[in-house]
Amino acid sequence: MQKLLETFLIGLSTGSIYALMSIALVLVWRSTRVVNFAQAGQAMLSTYIGFEIATRTEIFWLALIIAIAAGALVGAGVDYFFMRVLFKHAVSGPAAVVAPVIATLGLLGLVRSIVGLVWGGEFKSIKAPASTDGFTIGETTLPFSPLNLLIIVTVFIILIALAIIFQRTNLGLSLRASAYAPEIAQLAGIRTARTRTIGWAIAGGVGGVAGMLNTASNFLSPYSLDLLLVFGFIAAVIGGLESMVGSVVGALILGIALTFILNYVGTSLVFIGGFVVLIAVLLLKPDGIMARGKVRRA
Amino acid sequence: MRKKLTLFILLGWILLLIGDRVDELRVYQGAQIAMYAIALSSIVLLTGYSGQVSLGNGAMMAVGGYAAALTLNNLGGPVWFAFVMAVFVSALFGAFLGAAAARLSGPYLAGTTLALAVGLPEIANQFDFLGGVPGLLFDVGFPPERLGEEFTQYKWFFWIATFLALLSLFITSNILQSRYGRTWRAIRSNSLAAELSGVHVGRMKILAFTISSAIAGLAGAVLAMTISLVAPGAYTLALSFALVTGAVLAGVSSLPGVVFGALILVAIPEVADVLATRWGGDENLNNYLPGLIVSVLLILSVIFTPNGPGEKLKSRHHKKG
Repeated sequence: MQKLLETFLIGLSTGSIYALMSIALVLVWRSTRVVNFAQAGQAMLSTYIGFEIATRTEIFWLALIIAIAAGALVGAGVDYFFMRVLFKHAVSGPAAVVAPVIATLGLLGLVRSIVGLVWGGEFKSIKAPASTDGFTIGETTLPFSPLNLLIIVTVFIILIALAIIFQRTNLGLSLRASAYAPEIAQLAGIRTARTRTIGWAIAGGVGGVAGMLNTASNFLSPYSLDLLLVFGFIAAVIGGLESMVGSVVGALILGIALTFILNYVGTSLVFIGGFVVLIAVLLLKPDGIMARGKVRRA
Repeated sequence: MRKKLTLFILLGWILLLIGDRVDELRVYQGAQIAMYAIALSSIVLLTGYSGQVSLGNGAMMAVGGYAAALTLNNLGGPVWFAFVMAVFVSALFGAFLGAAAARLSGPYLAGTTLALAVGLPEIANQFDFLGGVPGLLFDVGFPPERLGEEFTQYKWFFWIATFLALLSLFITSNILQSRYGRTWRAIRSNSLAAELSGVHVGRMKILAFTISSAIAGLAGAVLAMTISLVAPGAYTLALSFALVTGAVLAGVSSLPGVVFGALILVAIPEVADVLATRWGGDENLNNYLPGLIVSVLLILSVIFTPNGPGEKLKSRHHKKG
């Protein structure tokens, strides 16, 4: 019973990091119709910047805020200097459909190489803002640590902030409008291109938090966020790739499911488990768990 | 058909003559070019013709490599049988995956295959019979004695790789010019219209995935041969990246282009090595410069000539005419 509860709580903490990554992917997908594989690279770059701040000042929260700002700046930059150019060369021919997604892949490779050139390939770590030793109840020490709790709380606060931005502000309204019907939004006087760049910036900031939190409980290397990207994508697919709420639910389900596999079956099956979930969702509920009978794809 | 066969045999003969006249390193690189050409042709068939993106061709190659090594190490038998098994097993794997992939559109397929490319090496790490991190040996043996004592191991690799590349390119080019190639192009251009014309879109997509995986598996076995082992470190995400870059540079829908793409992929580490040495040669530069060049090439080509450099020339020609 105790193991069951622990597994659930740790899964919740893992899943909440996936949630941030999947929200970043969903935000970009809704506004640009591209699955932004470079998100892992953007998050990595902002986390390395956060790492520099964290090692110099030893204040994790300052590093986190700088990482968010860096992530937002990088995200906006990618859209402004890169995606706009890409779409201006709007192409026809066999590669037209696949060009944007391949371009984000190239961007991921570019950021990875630059990070590798500057910081090298060795593992870095950021001192966690809370203890990683488990809580002690009575005589037993749980694997669930204050850090895990802190991750859940931080992600929860960020989700609330996002919900307020999207539901209660004019910016949120124009973000939703330009994602839902860009032409009509434009006719209504929304600068859709600029709104899209802001959407990329928000996604970049959220990705930066995901990178920082992942690194606080793990380590940082030019490859350390690849799995986070994959699990974030799977979570987004579970939620239907359109819905932010869906992707958060998907991420929590995935995090808990994978932690159960880890604790009860073994490490060897964690990735296979995630892949099986992905294939199963794609075959059984291709529009995601939040779909309401609306068919989006042929 | 007969003309093409003659052409391929002539090409092979010329390559053999060249192989006799250059040094060991170039011969080895020749084998690598042949390997990349096979791998790129699998992407051309899948993406350029049937219009399905796969970012995980490195994973398909891993399946072929492991299948070949497991066959040779456990069942013994002639080397060619290991290559046949590599093709067979990866085709089977591709058919299974294709059944899921045929129902997916662009972003879903791209993400799923990327997940595979990230995850498959991790999986290979976890199971003992796959040899873990050090991997499995894959030794195709010494060249036959009747070729003489001068005949080196690398030249033997080159012969095998070139033969397999020419064979697979010949078969692929015939497939692409057949009814199937036409049907795939129809699906890529407009799958709804193809369906209305009586094409089984799903079935044809699965077929493309299967054949493409089989070719990629062969490339994986050839790669395993040139480095004499299969290990997770050989089939990384970086390999999948490089293959996508090579395919875009080759012009995704041009089969002859794969030779050009393969040449560039083999040249990049060489160029990076020269540059890294000139710029001081520290460790990071050596490790990350090749990746930097690959990514920059990929980004530039996908923005400016997404259908390959050849297409740009062709369309300019058309405009003038």
